[in-house]
Amino acid sequence: MANLAIRTEGLTKIYTEVTRGGLRRRKIVGLEDLNCEVEEGEVYAFIGPNGAGKTTTIKLLTRLLYPTKGRVWILGQLNTSRASMKRIGYLPEQPHLYGYLSGREFLDFVARIFGLDSKTRKKRVPELLEKVGLENRASVLIRNYSRGMVQRLGLAQALINDPLLLILDEPMASLDPLGRKDFRDIILELKKEGKTIFFSSHILSDAEMIADRVGMLNKGKLISVGKLDDLIGSNVTSVEVTFTIEPAKLSEMNLKQEDVVVCDRSVMIRLRKEEAVSEILKRIDKFGGKIISVIPQRKSLEDIFMAEIRR
Amino acid sequence: MRVWAVSLNTFKETIRNRVMVNILIFAIGLILLSLVIGDWSMGQQVKVIKDFGLSAMSLFGLLIAIFIGIRLMVQEFEQRTIYVIASKPIHRWEILLGKYLGLGITLAVNVIFMSLALWGADLFMEGKIDFGLAPAILLIYIEILLVVMLALFFSSFVSPNLSAIFTILVFIIGHLSAFLRDYVQLHPENSYNWVLKLIYWVVPNLEMLNIKMAVVEHLERPPHAVTYGFFYGIGYILILLVFTVAIFNKKDFK
Repeated sequence: MANLAIRTEGLTKIYTEVTRGGLRRRKIVGLEDLNCEVEEGEVYAFIGPNGAGKTTTIKLLTRLLYPTKGRVWILGQLNTSRASMKRIGYLPEQPHLYGYLSGREFLDFVARIFGLDSKTRKKRVPELLEKVGLENRASVLIRNYSRGMVQRLGLAQALINDPLLLILDEPMASLDPLGRKDFRDIILELKKEGKTIFFSSHILSDAEMIADRVGMLNKGKLISVGKLDDLIGSNVTSVEVTFTIEPAKLSEMNLKQEDVVVCDRSVMIRLRKEEAVSEILKRIDKFGGKIISVIPQRKSLEDIFMAEIRR
Repeated sequence: MRVWAVSLNTFKETIRNRVMVNILIFAIGLILLSLVIGDWSMGQQVKVIKDFGLSAMSLFGLLIAIFIGIRLMVQEFEQRTIYVIASKPIHRWEILLGKYLGLGITLAVNVIFMSLALWGADLFMEGKIDFGLAPAILLIYIEILLVVMLALFFSSFVSPNLSAIFTILVFIIGHLSAFLRDYVQLHPENSYNWVLKLIYWVVPNLEMLNIKMAVVEHLERPPHAVTYGFFYGIGYILILLVFTVAIFNKKDFK
């Protein structure tokens, strides 16, 4: 069995909510009996709608919340130990950083908390500022940063200790499309460096693009876990073949009308079986058609997630 | 190292805070204003300047202590900056102690500036500096530190407004505790005396830290009054720190 970066056992969090001026108390289940394993070196996406329990899970992993029941192991050690916390990098959802510090000062402060000596700090801080593209804004006070810049600095502080495990809470939620692409690239780069990345997201397309494995969470319960390839890869529902051809030749091809869309000289055929692709390509060639594209249609993570929720 | 990092950061936060700097400038201005007020008091100029200066130092020190102290803690939770720090390999008591020490350094700097203003006014009027004020200033500083600790203690479990109200209440009762004791002795028949006695024992007697009158009037002080006051204040601070850490340790950072 591969080494585990995260392991939770029966992790449960029940919140007590005080209502009506403190007269009534009611219990709210934030997370119920979570048993989850994340292997070292993988990118694991924790997906679910808002309020599903993703942030609760992450706060339990990082000891910001105490569990009602259950335990957490980080890289083989219980997360109650300070040693395990030294190997984690954590980026909260929409991080709020000290606005009265500059980016450089903030990273230096975080580095001091990790006990990095002056020489290491002087090397590491500019390196990270460059990595997240903030080297030119290092001396600017954080209160003058845009949301995207704060997010980048948040990632830099999560990397200050060169962690083995990165825990990111909705890392791309507040970024514009360009920022999201940059962020995805950084995550993939970190994966190449051998880091384990556990991130939560309600934007399924992000998870689909970078995750190896996905855990689906709904109403505080883990409803499904699987490798992205298993969930999506084998689920080719159809193949769309687009080509151009003379109208007269098209009628000679004698295609099933319900699966064909014609627009001027362009034709799109939807094939229900992958095996039929080579046969149709041969026929298009035989009738003098010109192939434009062959696109397999898969179920998206969103389709699978919606099906799981409805189940 | 970690406690020092948090202290240094807290110090930076407070000195970059305009509200605090404004209060400090106002306090120093008021102390210097005592030169004018002293002029109106026939033959008592020097005493008025010292009395006014020490009182202003105490009052403004307390204002900074209560409002900046509560604000610092509350902001950590409201602005959620605490998430980034508390998830690092740092004990929660280290965060709290670091914050407290950082505030302590800021308040020390405040007291030093206000003392310099007071001694400057004194030098102007008397032609010499009265270092006899130093023990009173030391105890004012201890009192301010104690009030900050009270503010941190209350803000660890009640809302910021309630925390400010409780801190001010304790401050007022703390200066009236001798009256409480005397009242109970004079009226032993009252059924609610046990409440007054409880308050008397729980609330710190802040008059132990007040020797302003004695130093200004050059009155004889009880032996070891400064030492006793100093350790009394530090003792209370340590007890409150332990309680605050206990509450802070159990807190969920939702």
